[in-house]
Amino acid sequence: MENILIEEKREVYIEPAVDFNAQTGRCIIKGESFLEETSKFYSPLLQWLTDYLKQAEKIEFILQLKYFNTSTSKWILNMLGVLKRFEERGGKVKVVWYFFKDDADMRDDIKDYIYGSNLKIDMVPFE
Amino acid sequence: MESVTTNKRRATDNVCISYTGLFDSEILTILAQGIEGTLTSNDKVTKKVFKIFLELAQNISQYSLEREPNSSGESMGVGTMLIKEYDDYFQFSTGNKTTMESIIPVIEKCDNINSMTRDKLREYRRLQRNMPASNKGGGNIGLIQVALTADNPIEYGVVKCEDNNYFYIVSVKINK
Repeated sequence: MENILIEEKREVYIEPAVDFNAQTGRCIIKGESFLEETSKFYSPLLQWLTDYLKQAEKIEFILQLKYFNTSTSKWILNMLGVLKRFEERGGKVKVVWYFFKDDADMRDDIKDYIYGSNLKIDMVPFE
Repeated sequence: MESVTTNKRRATDNVCISYTGLFDSEILTILAQGIEGTLTSNDKVTKKVFKIFLELAQNISQYSLEREPNSSGESMGVGTMLIKEYDDYFQFSTGNKTTMESIIPVIEKCDNINSMTRDKLREYRRLQRNMPASNKGGGNIGLIQVALTADNPIEYGVVKCEDNNYFYIVSVKINK
């Protein structure tokens, strides 16, 4: 299976960096996500995760998003949904979400994702 | 006559950024730089204003009734954006033309959002995230996010235009 590696792109709309690695099972989305056409960017990622999790035993999903717009927010929930279904089938899932320690809004938002996805998410504040 | 001039000056004194025209990616870049570079040295407030800017500017690009082609021929919305600074807060406002049919649900949504506590709003956002995305991908969550980010009610106004359409203004305060 091919890996996905996308570098962060910063114009007015900002694409996050992506590193989905099928060999290690480590999948990272990092940076900022303010996209105009969110589905064009995220649907291949969702498809990759779905395909990968058909044959994988474990996944480590790491989010380090400083900002994301509301249309991105739905795709994050979709991806977490795919991970949850994998976990229910017996897969091993680890989700880590890094956020700036002063960003109270993001802290609340991650808690809402934990509630919404029913997944355990390790919240890691950084400076 | 002097008092008129003074009043005039007062009305514009607080303006940090104002723009009216096409909301395409080129102008959004310039406005974004203006917000990130010049508004305030308070990083937390800048982030909030920036986040609100991206949500509301995207709404104008996508939903404004008044449209013009950008340099690549794509139809983009025309609208107005205004940022004013006061002692304790920034006031962020956008405006665009719309029809009565499209504005009624938006106004209802604003009233609904304003009636909710922060916890209720978060719950509402969670529910909306689980709903299928609208065809333009905005996910219907933009205004909820704006209210949560600003941590203040959404103010709005609707003015009838000469062509029988309406000009819809949405405004939020962001505390310093």
